[in-house]
Amino acid sequence: MNAGNQIGIRRRERKRLLVGLLFISPWLAGLLLFQLYPILSSFYYSLTEYSLFTPPEWVGAANYKELFDDPKVWLSLYNTLFMTIFGLFPHLAFALAIALLLNRNVKGQSIYRTIYFLPTLVPIVAATLLWMWLLNAQYGLINELAGRIGLPQPNWLLDPKWTKPALVLMGFWGTGTATIMYLAALQEVPRMYYEAAEIDGANAWQKFRQITLPAISPMTLFQVIMGIIGTLQLFTQGYVFAEGNGQAIGGPENSLLFYGVYLYQTAFSFLRMGYASAMAWLLFAVVFALTILVFKTSAKWVYYGGDR
Amino acid sequence: MLVVLAGLLAAGALGGCSKSGEPAQAGGSGQPGGSQKPKEKVEIQFWNPLTGEAAAILDGIAQSFNTSQDAISVKTLSSQDPQKQLTAISGGNAPDLVMTYWNNIGPWSEAGAVLNLEEKIKTSGFQTETIIPAALDRMKVDGKLHGFPISMSMSNKLFYNKKMFQEAGIAKPPETLEELLDAAKKLTKKDDKGNITQIGFIPDYPWIDNVFWPIIFGGSWEDGKGKLTANQKANVDSIAYQASFYKEFGNEAIAKFKSGMGKANTPQDPILSGKLGMMIGWENKYNDQRGENGELGVAPFPYPQDRPELKNSGMVSPVAMFIPAKAKHADEAWTFMQYLLSEDVQIRYATEVKTIPVLLKALDNPKLTKNESLKSMWEFYESAKSKNLNGFPNSIYINEYLQALSEETEKALKGQQTAQQAMDAVVAKIQPKADKAAKK
Repeated sequence: MNAGNQIGIRRRERKRLLVGLLFISPWLAGLLLFQLYPILSSFYYSLTEYSLFTPPEWVGAANYKELFDDPKVWLSLYNTLFMTIFGLFPHLAFALAIALLLNRNVKGQSIYRTIYFLPTLVPIVAATLLWMWLLNAQYGLINELAGRIGLPQPNWLLDPKWTKPALVLMGFWGTGTATIMYLAALQEVPRMYYEAAEIDGANAWQKFRQITLPAISPMTLFQVIMGIIGTLQLFTQGYVFAEGNGQAIGGPENSLLFYGVYLYQTAFSFLRMGYASAMAWLLFAVVFALTILVFKTSAKWVYYGGDR
Repeated sequence: MLVVLAGLLAAGALGGCSKSGEPAQAGGSGQPGGSQKPKEKVEIQFWNPLTGEAAAILDGIAQSFNTSQDAISVKTLSSQDPQKQLTAISGGNAPDLVMTYWNNIGPWSEAGAVLNLEEKIKTSGFQTETIIPAALDRMKVDGKLHGFPISMSMSNKLFYNKKMFQEAGIAKPPETLEELLDAAKKLTKKDDKGNITQIGFIPDYPWIDNVFWPIIFGGSWEDGKGKLTANQKANVDSIAYQASFYKEFGNEAIAKFKSGMGKANTPQDPILSGKLGMMIGWENKYNDQRGENGELGVAPFPYPQDRPELKNSGMVSPVAMFIPAKAKHADEAWTFMQYLLSEDVQIRYATEVKTIPVLLKALDNPKLTKNESLKSMWEFYESAKSKNLNGFPNSIYINEYLQALSEETEKALKGQQTAQQAMDAVVAKIQPKADKAAKK
């Protein structure tokens, strides 16, 4: 190889790079203008006091300091993490169970698949209002059934201890997307592993535990991370639940004051854009930390079929 | 431009003499006489959050204004909720006149988005004392008027289910709060398992009202000098009184009953279905069901027995109009605002929307008080003259203040803390914000 040839390659590469950049420039412009710029400016605002109408006033780290002394920040973080821990994992397990059932070769398979996916298509607000009827403490179907089999009949919508479990319960209905994704992953698991296991005399549980779960673990990782991000941004359900009951924005005793709800209230009702920006950055830090944590642990439980 | 200004001055002068009973004919409609060249029409943008029929009524009024003169053309835009208003104003693209909820006036004014109207009122000679004081006071921020009410909503009555009263043997509606509690006991029934099957009164139905109740007890939230007064005796008493219902009927029992008793304005509406005996009465609720032939009776809301001077107390929540600080045609907007506050327009708006006008003399106008189609409103027009009407003070921290009141009141109602503790907690939390606002 000689030097002249290398320069030629570099020039050609640079040209290719430029053309490439030109082709993606609409997206690039969008990213810079509508994502990167707002993100960076929100960081600047988080260091100011800003009411939207008047120019922001520099306050340094005061907003961040206030975050740590604001009991409602912690309460809303607790409410939100409650949903992440007690909502996300049961929902994923449920989605996987349904996916396993839908993966069986039965008559009318595609009809079942459609039926289980349908609820996901109902808009969240409508679904929430519907569930508020099902969860009605006196006349709701759920308490009706619970009463018949001798279970307690909690006041789902008004008892602060039960409002979040009510949302978790409702969440099972909306696991269609997760189910479909698991279903796709299940169909990717090579048949030969199962055949080999059968020859070795493995039972159904062993096959599931040793083959299915590891084989779909990349999908689980993806769903866990997307789920964490999703639940940390929870807003609509909590908002509608509280509104529909004629209550203040956070529901009974602020038991539905999710981080996103409190952030919205701080920004658009209290007009404290600076503090709200600081809250958004705290949320970003939490999401980031949790995602890193999940990634770090994933080496232990995620298996890739490829070269690794 | 000069011509427009001249027209405005004329309008201002006319507005000033509107006491004579003539509506303030605004916009310089007076024929300028002589050989004036055709005026250049100024178009102003009037945003409102109304939808449907109410929006159409407002459009109609703007239309009448447009044809009444040829200097200003008002263009209305409905369905502009506060979120959109906020975006437009902060984005520097403000309309000229905005109709909004009264509690936006405080924060938006303090933030510099709302035009202080004192100057315009002075130069045009507008008589602010013609407006119902309790409604006008809500438009004041730091003692300065930043807007005007166009109409007002009022809660000062007790609605009750006539049939339930009959069944319980209650001859006449309660007059004092003590009688209200007694009546509620008589109207409440439980089954053998202890479940409530019908209830007399729920103080926080349809919502925790942290403004209405203190007003009934003669309370206040600010002393006018920056000191918050939510923890004074009257306010605390009002919370304790509400809590007494929870003590009487049980937290769990009420909560359970509430979740199943149905929601207002649905076929399961509890006060119509006979599940709820009494509730706080607003002028805009159950218009078709109340009065002589309706299922619902109406009475003045009870007062504390030992404070008869508080009879006919009530809460006022006006619908506000303001001119954004960055409005391009503030003078024209002010002209149109005065038109909206003139007697004929106030009466027209009140009649068509079925609401309460804010102009004091309109309350006695036979067009309202003798109009049979407004019969269910008559007692509200009458009581809108009461001296005991009040509302929540507007400020930059108003929404945080209201939120804190709701949160702490909720805990007090459920008996997790005393009423005094609740209100002390509110003041401890919000006073620093008030101090900070005062310093600015």
